[in-house]
Amino acid sequence: MSDPAAHSALRAEFFAGARQIAPSLLGTLPFGFVAGVAAVGAGMTPLQGVALSLFAFSGIAQLVVAQLIAAQSPLVVTLAAVAVVSLRHLMYSAAMSPHLAHLPRGWRVALAYLMTDQSFALGVRRYAEPGARGAKHYYMLGISVTLFVSWQLTVLIGAMAGAQVPPSWSLDFVVTLTFITLLVPALRTRADIAAGIVAGATALVAAGLPYRLSLVIASIAGVAAGVAFERLHRR
Amino acid sequence: MSTWIVIVGAGLVTFLLRASFIVFADPHKFPHAFRVALVFVPPAVLAAIVAPGLAMPQGLFDLTLANPRWIAGLVAIAIAVTVRNPLAIIVAGMAALWGLQAML
Repeated sequence: MSDPAAHSALRAEFFAGARQIAPSLLGTLPFGFVAGVAAVGAGMTPLQGVALSLFAFSGIAQLVVAQLIAAQSPLVVTLAAVAVVSLRHLMYSAAMSPHLAHLPRGWRVALAYLMTDQSFALGVRRYAEPGARGAKHYYMLGISVTLFVSWQLTVLIGAMAGAQVPPSWSLDFVVTLTFITLLVPALRTRADIAAGIVAGATALVAAGLPYRLSLVIASIAGVAAGVAFERLHRR
Repeated sequence: MSTWIVIVGAGLVTFLLRASFIVFADPHKFPHAFRVALVFVPPAVLAAIVAPGLAMPQGLFDLTLANPRWIAGLVAIAIAVTVRNPLAIIVAGMAALWGLQAML
């Protein structure tokens, strides 16, 4: 990286990504705090709460682990629930892989580990813009590093503070709101909307089942509804 | 001890799903039906998370005024459809929730 012009272009991409993610931090930072509080509330030590966050780096996966540890669920059930809520990363991975295929393995491992709903949504948009893909992985990195550092810090603060925030603040509602910011842009077609409605309704009907099985069943039902809707309307 | 196994396992599961295609596999080698189904995973999973958070925050289905979250959620969804800015969605949603909580 001896060429100073190329170097400053990479740095510009990195900071463009960092700037782009900034407005989302208002949701993810309290979310991280809630995830830290939830870990300790479920009986994990603060160290375990932070370790979980470093390993999984996923708010919803961290919340699911906390809930299922608190419910003393079997390991297999807990990991299956984590897999279901993380299934969307499989889709993100498939959609991002053509853009990242030219990168060295180390880069791909790092960007995969750092992949979030936000970095996927913003990164896909950046790769769709005109211009060579050249430095766009630095844009991904700028988003991801900004999110990673601020997320881990707020999880740490939440895990240390424990349950000192009064429940009347309803801070946990930022979790639902954060997922609304992701859900609405994901509803682009009528088939998407059918998938969302069926999944949401199934999640409510099946809510009484143990081990958050409702999430698994609702997700499968939603995907099936989306596929069926598309088949019907292609004819 | 078992908690640590869960923590490491959760890390492995999330990493393997994220890395699946980026690091290990070529998505074009998978059947078309699989890729079609994959498209619906985000709307389905996200809706399955959001719906109970709005309609049954205490674990019981409640679309009355005693539960302000579904109303605040509708406000947030309306903002999300029109403005799309995550900052505006979260500010409007929390403001609506706190306002409703203060009134009820």
